[in-house]
Amino acid sequence: MSEPAIEVRGLEKSFEEGRIKALNGMDLAVSTGEFVAIVGPSGCGKSTLLHLVAALDQPDAGEIRVAGHDLATRKDLNHYRARHVGMVFQLHNLLPSLTALENVQVPMFELGRAPRERRRRARELLRLVALEGRERNRPPELSGGERQRVAIARALANDAPILLADEPTGSLDSEAGRRILDLLEELRRERGLTVVLVTHDPGVAARADRVVRMLDGRLDDARPAAPPARVAPALT
Amino acid sequence: MSFSALILRNLFRQRVRTLLTVLGIAVGITTVVALGAITEGLRVTSGDFVNAGGADFMVAQDGASDLTFSSVPADDVERIAALDGVERASGALIEVSKQAENPYFLVFGYEPESLPDEPLELVAGRLLAPGADSEVMIGSGAASELGLAIGGTLEVDRHAFEVVGVYNVGDRLRDGGAIVPLSALQEVSRRQDVVTAIHVTVAPDADPGAVADTVERDLSGLAAIRDVGEYSKVDQGFEIVDSANLAISLLAVGIGAIGVMNTMIMSVFERTREIGILRAVGWRGSRILRLVVYESLFLCFIAAGVGVAFGILASRAVLLVPSISTFLVPTYPLEIFVRALAVGVLVALMGAVYPAMRAVRLSPMEALRHE
Repeated sequence: MSEPAIEVRGLEKSFEEGRIKALNGMDLAVSTGEFVAIVGPSGCGKSTLLHLVAALDQPDAGEIRVAGHDLATRKDLNHYRARHVGMVFQLHNLLPSLTALENVQVPMFELGRAPRERRRRARELLRLVALEGRERNRPPELSGGERQRVAIARALANDAPILLADEPTGSLDSEAGRRILDLLEELRRERGLTVVLVTHDPGVAARADRVVRMLDGRLDDARPAAPPARVAPALT
Repeated sequence: MSFSALILRNLFRQRVRTLLTVLGIAVGITTVVALGAITEGLRVTSGDFVNAGGADFMVAQDGASDLTFSSVPADDVERIAALDGVERASGALIEVSKQAENPYFLVFGYEPESLPDEPLELVAGRLLAPGADSEVMIGSGAASELGLAIGGTLEVDRHAFEVVGVYNVGDRLRDGGAIVPLSALQEVSRRQDVVTAIHVTVAPDADPGAVADTVERDLSGLAAIRDVGEYSKVDQGFEIVDSANLAISLLAVGIGAIGVMNTMIMSVFERTREIGILRAVGWRGSRILRLVVYESLFLCFIAAGVGVAFGILASRAVLLVPSISTFLVPTYPLEIFVRALAVGVLVALMGAVYPAMRAVRLSPMEALRHE
C-alpha cells in the first residue's frame, strides 16, 4: 500500500494558554490524489488542522507526516510551505497592492525563477482559472469568486502536490462557489492533486471523494459520513 | 514583477509618509554636505595661502589657536633667510579689520622692498613705495567688494591708508584683502617687531622637507607647514569645524535613524497580515528581512540624492554673501559625497534593523491573525 500523502496522528493544539482546546487527538490519513472534505461545527478545529498541516503553526502534541516526512523534524518549513503545499484561505489573503498577475508570482520568488518566467507562469495559471484579461486588476477590483480563483492560481504557482483549502467558497454566492469547486475537481483530476477542503456546507462536501467529520477537535466517530464509501480510512 | 518593483510598490503606497521621511533624512544630509563643502573650500583657500607666492612652506607660531593670532619675532625672517638651502623668506603680518559689512577683512603687512619679488599682478596703480607708511594696495576681490579704486581710502584701526594699487595674486585670502607696509601695520595693530607668518622658498637643489625640519629644529616655538594637512599646527579652526561636522553627521544619523525607524515600524506594523501571507506562501525570513531593509535603503538613497542636491545649493547660496565669497569657494571632493552616502546607509540600516527583526520573528499564523 502506498504511503498516504498526509498522515496525522494524535494531533493536539490549544490556544490562550490551554483554555481553548482546538484539536484534541485528531487522526487523519489522506491518500495521494484524494479529494477530502472536512466538515464539522464551528470551533471543532477544522481550520486549525489545516493550518498545522500547512505548517503555519506548531502543534502542541502529535505527529504530522507529509509524503512520509515528519513536519516536526523538518528544518526548513519555508521550503515545505513553498513547494509541498498550496493554501487557499476563506478570505483569499491576496496582497491588495499587487495585481492578480503579481499576486500569483509571489510564491515563485522562493523558487529562484527569473522575472520573465514568473510572469509567463502566472499568466498561464490565470488562464487556467479563467481569469484572462483580469491580470492587471488588483484584488479590490475583482469579485469574490475572481479573488478566490487568483488565490487558487497562487496556490498552484509552485506545483505543490497538495492543495489545502479553508472554506474556499464560504464567502461566495452559490454560482461562484460551484465554479470554484469545479475548478478544484478539475485540478485534482488533471494534475493529480491531493485536495483537502474544509467546509460547513454539506453541498460542498458532497463534491469530495470522502467526507471526514470532526467534533471537539477530533474525528467524530459517532457519526459516520455519508455515503458509507467515504469514511476516513483507519490508520495503519 | 521583480523584487525591486515590489520594494517600490511598498514605498509608494504611503506617498506622503515616504516623502516626509525622505525630506527628514535629506535635511541632515544637506547639512553634512553643505558644511563639508564650505570646510573644504576653506581648506583650499588656506592651502593657497600656505604656498602663497610659490613658497615651499609657511612658518608660524607653533600651537597658535588661529593663524591670525600667530606671533613670530620679525628677526626670525632674517634667521630663516640665512639658513642653508633657503632662497627667500618673506614675513607677513595679518590683521583682521572690519570693513563695511565684512567683519573678517584681512590686511597683510609686507616690507614694501619685498613686493617686487612677490608674484603680484598689478591690475591698476603701482606697488607700495619704499618707506611709505600710509599707502595700501588692495586685492581685486576686495576692490570690487568695497568699491575702492586708486586714490580711495582704507581705514585700518583708525589709521587711514591711501589706495595706490590694485593687485591680483591668485589666492582668495590675499585677493580678498589688502597689503600695507609691515611697519605701519605693526604700529597700528600694536604688534611691534612681530610677523604672523613667514613664507619660505627653498633653493632649486634643496629639499623643502629637510629645510622645514631645520627651521623647526633651530628656531624654537615655530612650526613649518608644507601643506594644508599640517595646518592644525598653527590653527585649530579646521579641527573645530571638523569636530562640528562630525557632531552634525552623528546627529543627522541619529535623528534620521529615528525617522526611518518610525516609518519602517509603521510600515511593517500595517503590513503584518501581508507579511503573514508572504510567510504562508513560503517566503523565508531572510527574504522578508531583505524586503524591509532594502525598502529602508532605497528610502535613504533617495534622501542622500536629495540631500546632496540641497547641500550643493545651500553651499552655493553662501556665495551670495559678498564678504564670504571674496575668500571662499565651496569645494566638493568625492569624500563629501561618500560621507553623505555613508550617513544614508547608516540611517537606513539603523532604522530598519528593529522593524525587520520584528517582521521576521512573527510566525505566519500570528501575522495572519493580525487585524
